[in-house]
Amino acid sequence: MIDFELSDEQKMVRETVGAFARERIRPAARQADESESIPQELIQQAWQLGLGREPIPEELGGFGGKRSVLTGAVAVEELAYGDLAIALHIMTPALFAFPILEVGTDEQRRTYLPLATGDEFPFVTAALMEPRFDFDPTALTTRARKIASGFTLHGAKCFVPLAGEARAFLVYAQLENGAHGFDSVKAFIVERGAKGLSLGEREKNMGLKALASYELALDLELGPESIVGGEDSSYGARLLSESRVALSAMAVGVAKAAFEYSRDYAKERHAFGAPIATKQAIAFMLAEMALEIEASRLLAWQAAVALDKGGDAIKEASCAKNYASSVALKVADNAVQILGGHGYIREHPVEMWLRNARGFAILEGVAIV
Amino acid sequence: MKLLVPIKRVPDPATTIQVRPDGTGIVTDNIKWVINPFDEIAIEEALRIKERLGSGEVVLVTIGEKSWQEQLRTGLAMGADRAILVVNDKPLDTLAIARVLAKVVADEKPDLVIMGKQAIDDDSNQVGQMLAELLGWPQATFASKVEISDSVCTVVREVDGGLETVQFPLPAVITTDLRLNEPRYASLPGIMKARKKEIKEIPVENLGLDLAPKLKIKALKAPPKRQAGRKVSSVQELVHLLHTEAKVI
Repeated sequence: MIDFELSDEQKMVRETVGAFARERIRPAARQADESESIPQELIQQAWQLGLGREPIPEELGGFGGKRSVLTGAVAVEELAYGDLAIALHIMTPALFAFPILEVGTDEQRRTYLPLATGDEFPFVTAALMEPRFDFDPTALTTRARKIASGFTLHGAKCFVPLAGEARAFLVYAQLENGAHGFDSVKAFIVERGAKGLSLGEREKNMGLKALASYELALDLELGPESIVGGEDSSYGARLLSESRVALSAMAVGVAKAAFEYSRDYAKERHAFGAPIATKQAIAFMLAEMALEIEASRLLAWQAAVALDKGGDAIKEASCAKNYASSVALKVADNAVQILGGHGYIREHPVEMWLRNARGFAILEGVAIV
Repeated sequence: MKLLVPIKRVPDPATTIQVRPDGTGIVTDNIKWVINPFDEIAIEEALRIKERLGSGEVVLVTIGEKSWQEQLRTGLAMGADRAILVVNDKPLDTLAIARVLAKVVADEKPDLVIMGKQAIDDDSNQVGQMLAELLGWPQATFASKVEISDSVCTVVREVDGGLETVQFPLPAVITTDLRLNEPRYASLPGIMKARKKEIKEIPVENLGLDLAPKLKIKALKAPPKRQAGRKVSSVQELVHLLHTEAKVI
């Protein structure tokens, strides 16, 4: 049976994270974008909500909850509704923790999950994207080769959030093991200070300016215990789908923010003696924005539910990501248009949302729900 | 220490309220319901008192329909230990509410009742005072600071023209003002734990109280729409109009 009703807990997560996003994140977003930094106090407050460590077992510093991709999608939609750059910052530790939680060995969970928990916001991150025009998460050019003492890791990464302060990284690479595609995509745990790990300059991006991201160059030798889940497990497809669902949900959040802002503006702004929302050119645009946001959310939830049932959900997650990314961009663009000249100036947030939404078509971050 | 926090469900302050055409109440379709903001402050203060003392129990109570469970769950997710729902679907006036609460207090025997100074829907600002009177307990309304040591309570009250500090023994009733604290957000683990916490339901009939309303709402009316301002062309004209038309100078 198909049921689109969220559980009572999921509704409460939505309410709470939504209230936090409206009351705390949104008011800080413009200043964060202008100053290219996020107040540590805000991040710390968000961390206290338990996002990113709820499903980690209590003995490893989490809260022992049950991991649900759908609940995660509901939460990150609300966070991104507040601000995308701040949402990505808040969820960065989960980029490191959730794959280890899900596919790591017991030993890896015991050793590394405590790095991603605790009362202070933990600086750990993941590196997936590569600085190439033909970046493909199923054919990474960061290569891992098995040697007698473990593995060598060689390549370059970009858009690694919080890398400047990170104590540990989850680095995705293609293991040269004869397999192809997802079956040879592996994650490696690299600690800060590893010989051959070099950090580039902070990136200067069009949007998401508040999120500190960096390039990484890798020429490393790692021990045999560094490969997440061991050599024989295959998890690339599932982790990528989780990432796509999270990004889809965030895209829905950004689109919802832009839609609501431009709708409210259109109801207040008068032209030719009536609010512009009463003009069909604007009204039709708003109606279409609303309907595409609903459609994006359904696609994201469908993929999330499929993942929660244990599948890889490659098709569902890819559809959701593709659709939600383009909807976010289109809705943010329409919002700028509805505000007219006001949409183009930095006093209103829609131009910032447009710049941020542009990232969805480019980002293929890792599993962060 | 046992702390009892009575809460009320009210429309979200951000909701646009519409009066029913027949004037008997407000339109409740599509209204988002929340915990009365002053009561949320009371929950937060109770949790802080418990945290400061290192032990204790925070019990929520509300009087309303079964669906009010939702607001109790939110309070439990913030950290309250358990909740009581006195199930009632008939209109009750403030004295009736105070009587029900007095009965709950008699059963629960809390050391402190802490609640919002008023609900933001009808703004009555009566229940806390009435409850203290029915119980014969000390009361401190409009609290902006609460300190407890050795069953002596010190409260700073916001009164017209300044602050008043009062001291009294427990048990007592405190009602909270806006500046007492800033309520926390429920955390994810808090939300997940709230599901397992107890909400005890008591049908209001079982309390055997006289709850017949002494107060009847005759009609509700929306405030008149504000008229648009008028532009005047000179200071002289303004002064002239203030004198002759508005008659304020």
